[in-house]
Amino acid sequence: MAIRNLSPLPETPPHGRALPAFAIIGWRWIGRNPAVAVAPILLPFIFLYFLSLISPPSLLPLEIAGAMLFTMQNIGSWVLGDSATWRIECSIQDLFVASPMGRFRYLFGIAFSNLIAMLPALAVLSGLLAWTQYSRGIPVPLSAWGIIVACLGVLWVLFSSIGIAISSRVTTQREIWPVGSLSFTLLGMLAPLYYPISYLPPVWQEMARFVPTTYAALLIQAALGITPASPVTMAGYAALLGLSACLGIGLALGLYRWRTG
Amino acid sequence: MRSELALAPSRAFRGLGSFLWTEILVQAHEWLAMGTSMVVQGVLLVFVWILDPSLLPVSFLGAILFSMFTMGQRVLNEAAYLRIDHKANDLYLASPMTPEGYFLGMAIGILVVYVGPVLVIGLLSIWVVPYTPAIVLLLFLLALAVWLFSASTGYIFSTFFRDNRAIWAYSSLFFNLFGVLFPVFYPLSLFPADLRSVALLLPPSAAAALLQSSIGATSLSEAQIALAAGGLAVEVTLILLGAILWARRTSREA
Repeated sequence: MAIRNLSPLPETPPHGRALPAFAIIGWRWIGRNPAVAVAPILLPFIFLYFLSLISPPSLLPLEIAGAMLFTMQNIGSWVLGDSATWRIECSIQDLFVASPMGRFRYLFGIAFSNLIAMLPALAVLSGLLAWTQYSRGIPVPLSAWGIIVACLGVLWVLFSSIGIAISSRVTTQREIWPVGSLSFTLLGMLAPLYYPISYLPPVWQEMARFVPTTYAALLIQAALGITPASPVTMAGYAALLGLSACLGIGLALGLYRWRTG
Repeated sequence: MRSELALAPSRAFRGLGSFLWTEILVQAHEWLAMGTSMVVQGVLLVFVWILDPSLLPVSFLGAILFSMFTMGQRVLNEAAYLRIDHKANDLYLASPMTPEGYFLGMAIGILVVYVGPVLVIGLLSIWVVPYTPAIVLLLFLLALAVWLFSASTGYIFSTFFRDNRAIWAYSSLFFNLFGVLFPVFYPLSLFPADLRSVALLLPPSAAAALLQSSIGATSLSEAQIALAAGGLAVEVTLILLGAILWARRTSREA
């Protein structure tokens, strides 16, 4: 066979537009499967309806804020699913490993694409929270919105990292759904998202303090005036949220396997 | 081969036993999935325990029925997984096994394995539910009816999917909508009065209402009992026959 002189490959750009590409993936995902966007919107409402039947009406704003945090936490399960499916079923992770794109941009891209798919649910829940508080004569202050967005952002990074880290240890497609569902639902249930922490038995309260979502919930509940707290206490919640999130991200990065091939 | 089978009803379920055993062996390894199948029930029972413990008897009975209902979700996932991911559906249907044997073998195999966690809920419920032999018998029959309905629905739904990733969203919506929104975990009396007849026509909430009535947690008129029981019997029969016919039809298309 004659050996032909091949022209050299064009130089690969070291910085691609990974984020917009992953944003399109996220948009296409919900564009092609509308139920994927509808499910995370409706599922919290189904639970909110159930909770509204069995709890005092005064807890409704707290439950809506809890649904927002729970929705954001569930991104971890979605990220886990995507990351594992792309690696196991599509065998596409090896392609990214071989590309100039580093693992952080790959991980951030998957997390970003799932955030796009989750945004409609968060927008609807935010609207409901604003309307509920407004109709009670206590509109949500701007500072509270800032705290809500910050808490959601921290949880997005944290649970996406955990989801991706777990995904790298999943070996078969069949494990994806149960592992994701169990991990993130249990983490969500441990934290007092849908009721004040004082409602929980003492042992449970102590356990909940090891979960970052607890501090996000306490911070938002304080910012909304549902569970009053002094500025110093709120600063403490924020510090503990940041600290536990950093620990969680560190653990997740330690657990993550990038070059599996 | 298919036309011969159609003429021989005694062979209509050929392969059921072997596929049932296969499915039991496959599912018995799915400890994580078994644990996950109890997550929603566990979460709702915790909600009730924390926020209104007086509803625990109703919620425990609802958890048992909901567990049987969500076995349909397992059938949906398994049937779609075998067809889309493993491409094993065609292989099974090309074998001497009949479509009926394939569907029922899968559904019963999943039932045999997943009934374990349901029995755990049942045992826990003894602490709060005032069981009598009649209530236990009623619970058994209603749970069986709910399972038949959901397994048949799950199998039919599974044939519509072309992408495994889309299944979760649709099946979660379906099973949580009919199992959580409607009065399965809470008394029918808390549901809007205008929509109660709708709830009595849906298998999970109809079965739950009949059980709630049997323990005195809900008061049902004779007409409501007839609507719930009659509707459940008709719906289960129709959907089971529909699933068997659909299994035959989709096997011809495969």
